[in-house]
Amino acid sequence: MSAPAISSARKPPRPAAPSGTVLPIAAPYPAPPIPEHAAAGAPAPEEQYSLPAGYGDTRIVLMIKDPWWLYAYWEVQPQAERAARSQLTPEDIVGLQSVLRVYDVTDTAFPDQSARRWFDIPLSGLATSWYIHANAPDRSFIVEIGLLTRGGRFLLLARSNRVTTPRAGPSEVIDTAWAIDDETFWRLFGGAVGRGSSPSGWMSAPSSAHAWLPAGTAAARPAVVKGFWCRVNTDLVIHGATEPRAKVSIQGRPVLLRPDGTFTIRLAVPDGAQTITIDVTSADGATTRTITPTVTLAWSGTLEPERPAKPFRPSGKPADRPSPGGAA
Amino acid sequence: MEPRGLLALVLHTHLPFVRHPEHPSFLEERWLFEAITETYLPLLARFHRLADERVPFRVTMSFTPPLLAMLADELLRTRYLRHLEALIELSAKEIERTRWEPPFHRLALFYHHRFTTARRLYVEAYRRDLIGAFRSLSERGVLEPIASCATHGYLPLMETQPAAVRAQIRIGVAAFEHAFGRRPTGFWLPECGYQPGHDAVLKECGIRYFLTDAHGILFGSPRPKYGVYAPAICPSGVAAFGRDMESSKSVWSAEEGYPGDFHYREFYRDIGFDLDYDYVRPYLNGDGARLHTGIKYYRITGKTDDKQPYDPDRALEQAAGHASNFLFNRGKQAEHLSSVLGRVPIIVSPYDAELFGHWWFEGPDWLEFVIRKAHADQPDVRLISPADYFERYPTNQALQPSLSSWGNGGYSDVWLTGANDWLYRHLHKMAERMTDSARAHRHPDPLRERLLNQMARELLLAQSSDWAFILKTQTHTAYAYRRIHDHLARFSALEEAVRRGRVDEGWVAGVEEKDNCFPFLDYRVYA
Repeated sequence: MSAPAISSARKPPRPAAPSGTVLPIAAPYPAPPIPEHAAAGAPAPEEQYSLPAGYGDTRIVLMIKDPWWLYAYWEVQPQAERAARSQLTPEDIVGLQSVLRVYDVTDTAFPDQSARRWFDIPLSGLATSWYIHANAPDRSFIVEIGLLTRGGRFLLLARSNRVTTPRAGPSEVIDTAWAIDDETFWRLFGGAVGRGSSPSGWMSAPSSAHAWLPAGTAAARPAVVKGFWCRVNTDLVIHGATEPRAKVSIQGRPVLLRPDGTFTIRLAVPDGAQTITIDVTSADGATTRTITPTVTLAWSGTLEPERPAKPFRPSGKPADRPSPGGAA
Repeated sequence: MEPRGLLALVLHTHLPFVRHPEHPSFLEERWLFEAITETYLPLLARFHRLADERVPFRVTMSFTPPLLAMLADELLRTRYLRHLEALIELSAKEIERTRWEPPFHRLALFYHHRFTTARRLYVEAYRRDLIGAFRSLSERGVLEPIASCATHGYLPLMETQPAAVRAQIRIGVAAFEHAFGRRPTGFWLPECGYQPGHDAVLKECGIRYFLTDAHGILFGSPRPKYGVYAPAICPSGVAAFGRDMESSKSVWSAEEGYPGDFHYREFYRDIGFDLDYDYVRPYLNGDGARLHTGIKYYRITGKTDDKQPYDPDRALEQAAGHASNFLFNRGKQAEHLSSVLGRVPIIVSPYDAELFGHWWFEGPDWLEFVIRKAHADQPDVRLISPADYFERYPTNQALQPSLSSWGNGGYSDVWLTGANDWLYRHLHKMAERMTDSARAHRHPDPLRERLLNQMARELLLAQSSDWAFILKTQTHTAYAYRRIHDHLARFSALEEAVRRGRVDEGWVAGVEEKDNCFPFLDYRVYA
């Protein structure tokens, strides 16, 4: 919420970390509210449910993160793996490796036609998802998960959908009816295209994606401050009691009494001497009392009292100011 | 006189659906309350005033279905008024407390006036019906409302579930028709997330245009002759307008942008944190954690923590100056572009609506100054809505825009990262099961029909891009996680009930009461 600085560099995706092993199946969350009808006995489905680790499928799904990175998640059932292994000789089983095979299928009808190129990513047994550095904008990909023998035989377990990464720079294709020469294009629009068509070129573009960043979150509080700061303010609380139907005014302004006749007023106190006039009038208006306490506020020490709420913080917190509207 | 440039100001208005009747008060419901007080009411009041004064202008605003549902909801309307009454009470106490401190006393009066004005607007002027107030601006011809997805689902990461993409768009259009009584011409893709091919789904719904980030157009193919300064016609025939970075930056950027001006109000100094705990405690939420009340006494001052008291008059002058500067720069930009391009450019400046008023306190004033000055002070730039552009230039270049979003990095990095990637296997599976269930039950009995509709609501609410975003930014993560969990849990239980043809009536009624958005929804959109 302390809306991160706009210029923050894009963090590269975690390099090939098997994120699947950290599925927050048991992630903590606050206890669900008690349903009003919980008297029935059986707990509500919300209380019984936990996110499943899988759905009993053998499948792999491929997604696009950006022009250079893909993300795949998958699930393979043991029987699918057993079926694949059963095609192997005992020698093949030794050194058998789970791999992701990443195919560049740009303009080919893979798998009926062969892929243009491919590479393998060896997996640890526990991985159920992977960030893939294809590093190839404007290309199409299909990923297979399978078992690779030492002899180089690949046994398919699941094949993904096809994705096409976005272009990371202007198209080379020019429509003659709407032609613009290279120089003019870059001069006019180059600034908006970032400094060159690299991923980092985009980083300096103001990013405005944000969800409603709610007020009042921990990040907004001066909770994590390096060093030391303090501030001291003085509020004066005047409180008292009289008959509930009496009238009380402080500094000539009426004060609202509580039903039991008590009253409280809070005043921020500046430096020096202040005289406070409190008038209390009986319900019938016949009797009046005036009380005038005098309060003197004097300071010693290093805080300057003429500025109420002066914090001392050695260094500015750079992220304290929101990029208005947040930013990712 | 012919203008040199056309300026389309687009405000994207969205909040996730947060409504918890099961709790007496709920922290995250304040997102809506704060947005009403700080953004929606100030914008409505200014736009209506300008229209009353017959200042000609055009502003485009997208409204997401969750926000429309919350604005129309009786429980939240009542709770909003309760919230506002508490603020009025607190600001009245502040008038007393600050009596010996003139700069703060003046501000306490200022806030008290603002909150009582908000109550008057909400109760008397708009009769608690903010959708009606926006609709009337649309009828007066100054506001062009546009539609958005059902629950702000981020479509590029839904690509493997085409039925879910179609449902997000169609239900979004249905919600718009429900609220505004007419078909939308424009569409806001959540997070400006455009995936090639989705324009065809918009076409099916009669949409004429949508918005993308700049590189969506600039990296389109063939290369765009006019860059983002003219719409691109997608293969489906729907037009895409690209965001202008120069004008965006001057408002968005914390460093170079107007909102960082030292005279403007400091967001992060709020009496909810600054004052004595016992004094503010009655105005905090149930758990008693300090929070932003909305009463903020300081100006940004500079790169210092020693903040000076806010001066609203001085800030207003600054907003007027920034509005002049904004228009001057657009005039220069338009002059340059039109001379090179040989066509009057359209400069499209989209912003989150909540930037104005909530984050940038003076934003609504700035906007009003821009509108007034665009009309009275200069001939170079004219405000229009994207739809108006086609009357002037019906012929535009055909090209295929590129996959893009306005998120950090320009693609899907924000919503697909270590903190939230685990979501998608669940969301995709739910969407697949929704589609299977819808196809298996084309003519259901009344109970199953009801359950299937509620299944669709649970799926849609889980798909909100807000949850993935919150998980990434690490604020309110427990709440986001719980929402995903609960919607998945309800979906699974409903699916099971559909299969078995029976259900715990009390439980399902409770779910329908909690997640009560989109009464018009028909699950067959997934079939």
